[in-house]
Amino acid sequence: MLDTALLIRRQDVPVWLSVATYAGGLIFGLCAAALCLVQLGVPANALWQEFVVQTFLTQQGLGQTLTAAIPLVLVSLGAALSMRVRFWNIGIEGQLWLGAMAATWISLHDFGPGPLRLWLMMAAALVAGALWMALPLALKLLWNVSEVISTLLMGSIAFLWVQHLLFGAWRDAATGFPTSTTLDPVERLPLLGWDQLHAGLWIALAAVVVCALLTGVTRLGFYARAVGANRRAALASGLPVLLTVCVFVLGSGALCGLAGAVIVSGTEFRLTQSIGAGYLFSGIVVAYLARSNPLGVLVVAFVLGGIYTAGNVLKVFYGVSEAVVLLAQGIVLMSVLCAQLFGDYRIVTRRRA
Amino acid sequence: MSEFLLAWLTVLPSYAAPLLLAGLGLVLSERAGVLNLAPEGMMAVGAMTGALTVLGGHDPWTGVLAGVAAGTALSLGFGLAVVVFRAEQTLAGLATVALGLGITGVIGRAHVQKPFEGLARLSETGWGADLPRLIGQQTLLIPVALVLLVAVWWVLFRTAAGLRLRAVGEDPAAADVAGANVQAIQLAAVLGSGALCGLAGAYLSVASAHVWVEGMVAGRGWVVVALVIFARWRPAGVLWGALLFGGTEALTLRLQAVGVDFPVYLGAMLPYALTLVVLTIASLRRGASSGEPSALGFIYLRQDKH
Amino acid sequence: MTAGADAPTPVARPGPHEGTGRAPALLLRGIDKAFDGKPALTDAGFRLEWGEVHALVGENGAGKSTIMNIAAAVYAADAGEVVVDGRDVPLKNPADAIAAGIGMVHQHFRLVGRFSVAENVALSLGGAGRKCSVAEAARLVREKAAEIGFRLDPAARIETLSVAEQQRAEILKVLLLGAGILVLDEPTAVLTEDEAQALLSLVKGLAGQGHAVVLITHKLREVAGYCDRITVMRQGRTVLAEAPIASVTMEEVARHAVGETSPAPVRSAAESAGAEVLALKGLSIARAGGGLAVDGLSLSLRAGEILGIAGVGGNGQSELVACLNGLLSVAGGHLDINGVDMTRASIAARRAAGLRVIPADRFDSAMARGLTLAENLAMTEVPTGAYGGAFRLRRGAMRKAAEQAIADREIRGGGPATQAALLSGGNAQKLLLARELAGGARVIVAHSPSRGLDMRAARAVHVALVEAVAQGAACLLVSEELEEVIALSHRITVMNRGALSAPLNAAEATPARLGELMVGHA
Repeated sequence: MLDTALLIRRQDVPVWLSVATYAGGLIFGLCAAALCLVQLGVPANALWQEFVVQTFLTQQGLGQTLTAAIPLVLVSLGAALSMRVRFWNIGIEGQLWLGAMAATWISLHDFGPGPLRLWLMMAAALVAGALWMALPLALKLLWNVSEVISTLLMGSIAFLWVQHLLFGAWRDAATGFPTSTTLDPVERLPLLGWDQLHAGLWIALAAVVVCALLTGVTRLGFYARAVGANRRAALASGLPVLLTVCVFVLGSGALCGLAGAVIVSGTEFRLTQSIGAGYLFSGIVVAYLARSNPLGVLVVAFVLGGIYTAGNVLKVFYGVSEAVVLLAQGIVLMSVLCAQLFGDYRIVTRRRA
Repeated sequence: MSEFLLAWLTVLPSYAAPLLLAGLGLVLSERAGVLNLAPEGMMAVGAMTGALTVLGGHDPWTGVLAGVAAGTALSLGFGLAVVVFRAEQTLAGLATVALGLGITGVIGRAHVQKPFEGLARLSETGWGADLPRLIGQQTLLIPVALVLLVAVWWVLFRTAAGLRLRAVGEDPAAADVAGANVQAIQLAAVLGSGALCGLAGAYLSVASAHVWVEGMVAGRGWVVVALVIFARWRPAGVLWGALLFGGTEALTLRLQAVGVDFPVYLGAMLPYALTLVVLTIASLRRGASSGEPSALGFIYLRQDKH
Repeated sequence: MTAGADAPTPVARPGPHEGTGRAPALLLRGIDKAFDGKPALTDAGFRLEWGEVHALVGENGAGKSTIMNIAAAVYAADAGEVVVDGRDVPLKNPADAIAAGIGMVHQHFRLVGRFSVAENVALSLGGAGRKCSVAEAARLVREKAAEIGFRLDPAARIETLSVAEQQRAEILKVLLLGAGILVLDEPTAVLTEDEAQALLSLVKGLAGQGHAVVLITHKLREVAGYCDRITVMRQGRTVLAEAPIASVTMEEVARHAVGETSPAPVRSAAESAGAEVLALKGLSIARAGGGLAVDGLSLSLRAGEILGIAGVGGNGQSELVACLNGLLSVAGGHLDINGVDMTRASIAARRAAGLRVIPADRFDSAMARGLTLAENLAMTEVPTGAYGGAFRLRRGAMRKAAEQAIADREIRGGGPATQAALLSGGNAQKLLLARELAGGARVIVAHSPSRGLDMRAARAVHVALVEAVAQGAACLLVSEELEEVIALSHRITVMNRGALSAPLNAAEATPARLGELMVGHA
């Protein structure tokens, strides 16, 4: 069965075909995910209402969608930066935890004057995220240790660290719950007066602009393109490969750390055990679907933010677990990955001579 | 002290067995050249399906088999993606984890925290009442896991099929010319890894916890990915790794149970930190001695012009 | 499905092609094959009789390997028929070809490096449906090796064996599979003179026992004495079929192989050496698997000269080139460029000093398939600021420069925005030359610069190198193609086991003399 068709790798993939396979995979995946929802008891005619009208076309829904999209944009930009230099960041959640911890730490110790506090929290998160990435990066550069595994392990260690603090020193004495104490108002990102939407939106947009400029118009962005296309050739051509990889990979960690701080100071106002869950998949899904393009990340993260919003609605009104959002991401990613076959290869049915 | 030691050794197998089983599965898949990051998802569906089957009124062994079937079914999706659709293996593995965790979240949510009668311990069976505690406290799945360990070793290193499987992971082009069906072998290896990961998951719910909780795999799938590197892709290495990793986990929990003021979460970091160290050492002695299959993660296509 | 037992067995016959009425061993007719739309074979054919050694000759890219890979069912033909021993056999998988009795020894051996010889044989026998334990395979290897006079340890791991030993293992494997038809793809390319003679004698003997043998080669001279007939291919077509070796001259074969308009080789002008621009003093480079790939190598290269390094591949050439480039670090000794010690200098510093490298595999360590022509061309100059500052890359300037280079170097097959992957080998090499020979090139290291190119493209490469040297650059030409080295170089040295012979002047460097040096007898 497996050899009735031949696959021939295409040297030349026409643009229309790339678009078609991508769109085909995306549409197939979305349809499959929709079918799952219908199976789970969400009426088919409610899908449009829940996923488009209530998430993008009502003021309240759009506000929620934008709020959900903010950390998604940041982690996805992080994932995209490392993908650009062919470095797998599977430790997105780890860096996010470090960022969240760093911001919480600043807040718990009331470092710096009030007006500067928020800036300090963000800066600390950037540094912490980058530092958490530094070890896997160093291991990769020095001894070629697989970053897939090392970032993964660092992610698990970070989560245990958070638990260690939340069940120990940082536990909220007032409630006894394993969360940190709530942030002072001065440590919260200001609300924009539209539902829960907060100033993290400007941070996310600024990050998109910075990343777009970095990849699009700077020399470093060009180097990253060369490193991504053929690292050895970039090296042999005298490009500063080491610098490029370090900037992009540490930047990846920093952005994921920033996402942690934005969640803490923008929506949760405390460190909890659940704030980081799911961002690994989301970051990678968005970055992959956006082909590591910062502007693409903005669009895809916005759409995924809508799905997050809809997931919360489904949970309340139809009793469907919010894990369905994860399931949908898995289905769509798998579908687009598989559809890639039709773009990368020409499929020839075998003829009998 | 000896009481503590005995208690630790008694719980050790139930912490090591899931790692051993899933690790053996991963050895199969990765020896055939398929980089498999999916055990977290495959173990999750195995654990949930096993629990739901028993909650549905079936006996625990049926639950275990159902867990195996569920793990295999999910691995079929992964296998088709990477073997037939030639999808990128890292991303496809992550997508499979998302699918597994998503499915268990959606279906299993209604059944969390419902205790059930799981697999009997040997001492609870009619014939095993007189066994010493160390053995009597185990379920029959422990010897089954050891048999599977020997079986995986035997298949890989003592049979023609194993020779072919390893050849595919080392050099698919050579294996292809030698008449091995590269795709079929890789698919079979992935299915085998799914079955073993499903069994590992079913062990967690049906043999160990006797309840289904969401997130019950709790990162063990990721530990397994690292464990296989630690084991240098050898079945015996997987056993030692599983004892070490499972033993550390059991030890921290025992220490906590006897009231030692011990930072549990920091203790739980040890296996991860250890793996990182081992991974680094393994990378330092690159080449043959790291044991990594040469074509791991490589997408083979016969029609490629070399 | 043809079972292994049905494979045609060679029968002892009085002599080759003496029309006993037996069907030909292998008959390929009207074969078409394209790789992603680019035709590799067009209506190609081949006919092999039992008991003969048949040379299949042609330039690189003529389709010799491709047609035989179709016979071995590695590739599937787009059209045409394959008849084995008079039967139309469906060849869908390499296993089918093995079952039909076709054994191919590929140019890149298809052996699992970490397996022992016996394990590889057991693997192949198992694939052919013959259950066989590793121990049994070891016994078979020992018996067969004794029978044909090989020395080979069945328990040795392939990756620890020399190339010649690996080839023996491959041949043994194919014979143990019961192959009546043996296809050897460039078997002598990796062997020393003595080893090659031994191999060819063996092959001749096998044919005498009734096997049918195909020798794919682009060096007919080496094999002529051992062949019965010859088939020549050019640009995917069979242009001379089944000519008895005695009835054709080398010149005729060469004309068929390269076509009527074979251009005259480029020659360098007489030496007018200037100042020393590159000096290697006792340079040593570690080998990836341990030991030294290059051991205490010294040489001096002067402006205005081409110094040729001939030698069989795998004697440290790749390591030397990578080390000069800066990709491999130096284990001992010194490397001076323009009199400045650059032993530990960065790649960028070496480039700034005028070092340019044209590696053997341009898409491995020079250019990226996924980048556009403009990006590939600009790649080396972006760090110097030639295309704008750190925060403002001037894509327009890159495009203009690319348009200029494409016109100047006559690069065909795309514009500045085309992906480099779409270029043919010759045009991709022109692109690389356009980049590396432009402005500031003082020391050019060229490794097999015409490998895989057709005559015309190879000539363009040679012209470009000779022109660059005429304008005052120096060139280190590392090549396995003896004719190329002899035609271009002012001085020639031979690399053998990581060391260089004393340089010969162009006048003293005859193929025979260099051949002796390559084998290491002098």
